[in-house]
Amino acid sequence: MTKSDRQLAMVLDLNKCIGCHTCSIACKRLWTRDEGMEYMWWNTVNTQPGRGTPRDWQEMGGGFRDGQALPGKLPTRGEFGDAWKFNHEEVFYGGKGEKAHLKPQGKDPHWGPNWDEDQGGGEYPNAYYFYLPRICNHCTHPACLEACPRKAIEKRQQDGIVVINEDRCRGYRFCMEACPYKKIYFNHAEKVSQKCIFCFPRIEQGVANACARQCPGRVRFVGYRDDQAAPIYKLVDKWKVALPLHPDYGTEPNVFYVPPIAPPSFDENGDLDPSKPRIPDEYLVSLFGPEVLEVLEVLKAEMAKKREGAESELMDLLIAYKWKEMFGGFDRDPATIEWTGS
Amino acid sequence: MSGPIHLDRRSFLQAALAGSAGLALGLSALSCRESEPSEPALGPQRIPAPPEYGDWRDVYRERWQWDKVVRSSHWVNCWYQAHCAWNVYVKDGLVWREEQSADYPQIRPDVPDFNPRGCQKGACFSERMYDPARIRHPLKRAGERGSGKWKRISWEQALSEIAESMVTTIDEEGSDRIIWDQGPGISMGAQTAGNARLSVLLDSTSLDMNTEIGDGHRGVGETFGKILFERSADDYFFSDMIVCWGSNPYYTQIPNAHFLTEARYNGAQIVCITPDFNASSVHADLWVPVKPGGDAALGLAICQVLIEEDMIDREFIAEQTDLPFLVREDTGLFLRDSDLHEGGDEDELYFHDAQRGAVKAPRRTLELGDLRPELEADTEITLHDGKRVRVRTVFSRLKDLIAAYTPEEASSLCGTPPPMIRELAQRFGRAKAACMVTSSNFGKAYHGNLTERTQALVYALTGNYGKKGSGFVGFPFLTHDGIEKFILESFAFPIRTVISAMGKFEETRLRLAGFTDEMILYEQSRNAFAMGMRTSGALFWYIHGGLIEASEKLQEWDPYLDRPIKEVLEESLEKNWQYIWPKPGNDPRVMFSLVSNPLRRIRGYPLILEHLWPKLRTMVTIDWRMTSTGLWSDYVLPAAAWYERTEHKWVTPLMPFIHAGEKATSFEEAKSDWEIMSRLAEAVDKEAAARGIKSFKDRTGNERPLEGLYDAFSSGGEYGHGDDDKVAGALIERASNLEGVEWEELKKKGWARFTSLGNTIGSIGTAADITPDDTITPLTHHVNDKQPYPTLSRRIQFYLDQELYVEMGEQLPVHKEPPTAGGDYPLILTGGHTRWSIHSAWRDDKLMLQLQRGEPAMWMSVEDAEPRGISDGDRAKVFNDLDSFEILVKVAPAVRPGEVIIYHAWDNFQFKDQKGFQNLIASPLNPVELAGGQFHLRPMDISMQPSHTDRDTRVDVALA
Repeated sequence: MTKSDRQLAMVLDLNKCIGCHTCSIACKRLWTRDEGMEYMWWNTVNTQPGRGTPRDWQEMGGGFRDGQALPGKLPTRGEFGDAWKFNHEEVFYGGKGEKAHLKPQGKDPHWGPNWDEDQGGGEYPNAYYFYLPRICNHCTHPACLEACPRKAIEKRQQDGIVVINEDRCRGYRFCMEACPYKKIYFNHAEKVSQKCIFCFPRIEQGVANACARQCPGRVRFVGYRDDQAAPIYKLVDKWKVALPLHPDYGTEPNVFYVPPIAPPSFDENGDLDPSKPRIPDEYLVSLFGPEVLEVLEVLKAEMAKKREGAESELMDLLIAYKWKEMFGGFDRDPATIEWTGS
Repeated sequence: MSGPIHLDRRSFLQAALAGSAGLALGLSALSCRESEPSEPALGPQRIPAPPEYGDWRDVYRERWQWDKVVRSSHWVNCWYQAHCAWNVYVKDGLVWREEQSADYPQIRPDVPDFNPRGCQKGACFSERMYDPARIRHPLKRAGERGSGKWKRISWEQALSEIAESMVTTIDEEGSDRIIWDQGPGISMGAQTAGNARLSVLLDSTSLDMNTEIGDGHRGVGETFGKILFERSADDYFFSDMIVCWGSNPYYTQIPNAHFLTEARYNGAQIVCITPDFNASSVHADLWVPVKPGGDAALGLAICQVLIEEDMIDREFIAEQTDLPFLVREDTGLFLRDSDLHEGGDEDELYFHDAQRGAVKAPRRTLELGDLRPELEADTEITLHDGKRVRVRTVFSRLKDLIAAYTPEEASSLCGTPPPMIRELAQRFGRAKAACMVTSSNFGKAYHGNLTERTQALVYALTGNYGKKGSGFVGFPFLTHDGIEKFILESFAFPIRTVISAMGKFEETRLRLAGFTDEMILYEQSRNAFAMGMRTSGALFWYIHGGLIEASEKLQEWDPYLDRPIKEVLEESLEKNWQYIWPKPGNDPRVMFSLVSNPLRRIRGYPLILEHLWPKLRTMVTIDWRMTSTGLWSDYVLPAAAWYERTEHKWVTPLMPFIHAGEKATSFEEAKSDWEIMSRLAEAVDKEAAARGIKSFKDRTGNERPLEGLYDAFSSGGEYGHGDDDKVAGALIERASNLEGVEWEELKKKGWARFTSLGNTIGSIGTAADITPDDTITPLTHHVNDKQPYPTLSRRIQFYLDQELYVEMGEQLPVHKEPPTAGGDYPLILTGGHTRWSIHSAWRDDKLMLQLQRGEPAMWMSVEDAEPRGISDGDRAKVFNDLDSFEILVKVAPAVRPGEVIIYHAWDNFQFKDQKGFQNLIASPLNPVELAGGQFHLRPMDISMQPSHTDRDTRVDVALA
């Protein structure tokens, strides 16, 4: 197992995520626009509960149990959702009048990266859902790295970003099977596996990741795990309100989530029913582990303090009065860079 | 002193100009402060580009590189979300990508800053602007309209043929038959300046689409005498109860959303009141389900609890509202000065003072001095003719009314369980500063005005106005006020001087009559509106477009309506309550769709194709992309996309910074809107000259010059075809509410904070100061400074006694069952603005479609889908008496049974057989919307005109 000197991490506050996908688009427009990458969404946002991206990824295996690697399934392009092509030319200029209409070409699509948007679970009026944005977790114990027979996957010494060396990769796709989060895609044109690179070219210039810097909901904190002055450390290690997704997968993710607090449910008479949380406890536990229940209590207690006019360091951190302070020093404005000799 | 004011030609011009964008005659000496400098930016840093190919990492490093960065934004009407400062990254002469500039200053250290405003739509415009929907060259129809057969023509040919048709229309039938359908591209910058100059010089007709689209906020206008007032988004931070009632801000206000989630962390409770458990309810502290169309009943039940449990702010009500005003029991009309004194003023109203009896309510201030208006009075009074009548207060009448709205009674109307209504009312009662998240939902419902009046009442009873973080709000709008001066300058010098002098004279007259700045502006706007250069878009489509045919069965659908709606319409036009241009029978001949897409937009659009299209000699679409309307046009002209022109744009108080940017790149044959108007003016000038036509008769019958049109348009050549930058700068120079802002600096920086609301009807209604170091709380000029409201009563007004309100029993807000628009079918088809597009501009974008299902979808509840054998992903047929269409179904437990939802703005060409989902929306015309005559019920720009509605549409659904 490779251990890096320092570890970059991200905290995503699910109470601020509104499912707008600006992160997905920011990533898409920057990294995955070339041939072979059209269907890739290194950053996804899914409505939970739902089948997610790729479809039913939580049932595909991979990761570790008791330190032992578990077998995993290779997600197909269809399960991720293929990139649809549309017939704009035919509709606008084809001379077919009302006989033609705009639609994805070929077979009717059956899945996409946001297919079950805003559907969720429960029963009306106690329906429930929330948004779960995901990138590569840049794990401390990356299953992908261990699975690669080419040793093409590297955990960077200086910052712990997990990258696939595309010069070494031969497209065997063992990494895709091994990753329990199913965040690796196969480039069918280049015949290599590709995934989130934690925007290392930006990070190298002191600029926060596109998904984080472009997030209008101000959901994402970025920085080194061990930077005690920055929000990541305070949220993950001091206040312990940010948890990894599926700690049971055994890969020790470095992306953490502040869990969601939903409005109360109500009983048949229309009285509020505090005994039955709208999002069932067991569902949150299944995603974030048993600690999630304590975290919710901490969050609620700190929110109550603010409501009564008292101070709360935790709430002030999550509010992020100054946006730039969310980025642990990676706060340079990219527009200030002038490339020379390009 | 109410009633139409007769104007001569000169004052008409003055009024028309003032009304088109406000009055810029230095009305008030609003304080001018310098805007706070932003944090000093890091200077540019030169970084060597990575080697061409060292290893695989350099491929990624190389990808994140650019040649230059240009400030810009998306000059489209995102309304609540407008605007965001973007950096456009240009590589190899093309826009490569964009990223928020995110350099707004923090306004107060205890309030979060505005960064990094933007959304997923803005973040992919660099992809959208080069996709196959983009129009590359001028196109002329080469087959039947709608056939999709085109030939490429030159700009010269296109403009000269269009000009030929315009000159024929002007010369033979009247220039008012040239119609401008202005869409969400209105910038109030160079784009608008060009269209406004040409339209004004030709005395042609522009459609005011604000109420037509359902953004009219009629209930707000009925209550406050204005619809445009709003807070800054950071003001939410001072609220302890934020209510999303009928709104879905996490879809529609993406860049503002963080202020809500952060206010929640700061101790505010967020309450969402909607039929479905929508995306905003997800992060609420209380979600209250309500039946579609049941909101007024819910609001009245809240009022019932508030009054019964004595949780009301009597002092606020007595001073700021008409609730203590006296109403005659015999007629149900306000007690007026003209009742008590022969020749008395019809607009002077009374309240009852414990010591003095009936007292004329002060009109020039809300300050009560030692007057103590009683909330409840029941007394007899002698009229000037000796008749004794019983009078009671509005509040007493309200108490009678709401006795029928106990939570238990109201629950059957609104579908909200009684304990939840009580809980909600008590939360309102306890809140220190309750506020409302603005929404344009209810303007799209037939009885939406009743809902808005009720909501305003909940906030008034609890005194939730004028305090930081408090208040029900109207519609947000904030713009510079330089444009009307710029339009005025296109008139010849002597006329211009006369117009200015007339404006000052009129202003003085009104000021002496006790009018406030905003009342003077509204008066000017109303007078201008009566003259017709801007006309009600809604009535245009009902009358000239034949849409009124769909209201034929309205008496069957609306149980409260006793006579044909056409009869009410005729009465309204005859009595000059509402106006329409061109006059009925004068068929429109030339129509321009300016980034507006009416065939997508108009509910019941097949009627428009049937009734209006055959009358049109020439139909022109000017847009950067192909639209449903473009497909049915004779000419389609390529406009520059947003990054391709230098521009600035209006915003809203939610984000009180004007936004600006520079042209980053060019595209094929696309031209800026200013340049298209400029070249069109020149072409019309040339065509008229060739035919020897020197002048034309305007709509009032006066002769106007046509000769020298281009000279006037361009101010004698001062503003040429390509002078967007110069025009945009000229507007900023003339603005009074951007003190110290220099255009050269603004366009590089991208934004500047407004220094005051300015003197335009668009902005003044917020009635608050803008300072560099504090949030904006609306209506403080009324609540704190005691300025009267621009209503008949000069108060927040809950009682309306205009004839149609009396006829329909809507003097006070009541609950009415929605009409069964489209026939008696079991499901209500509703909608809302989408997360995925601004109007239809991104509806067919491949990335946005990829993050949905790739095609239009309708949301349906589990309970409604199952018995119909419909599963998620099936295609279904939706139908009613009007028509049918096919659509994919999404089944979700978040949807309320009985409701199906289709989000806004799918283009017709995205549906099978191009049958767009609005084909079966009848848009019944509500009779009270035809009211007028009374002081604040008279139509003006943007408000108090009839609207189109869709939220009451009844349908059934079957597997396709």
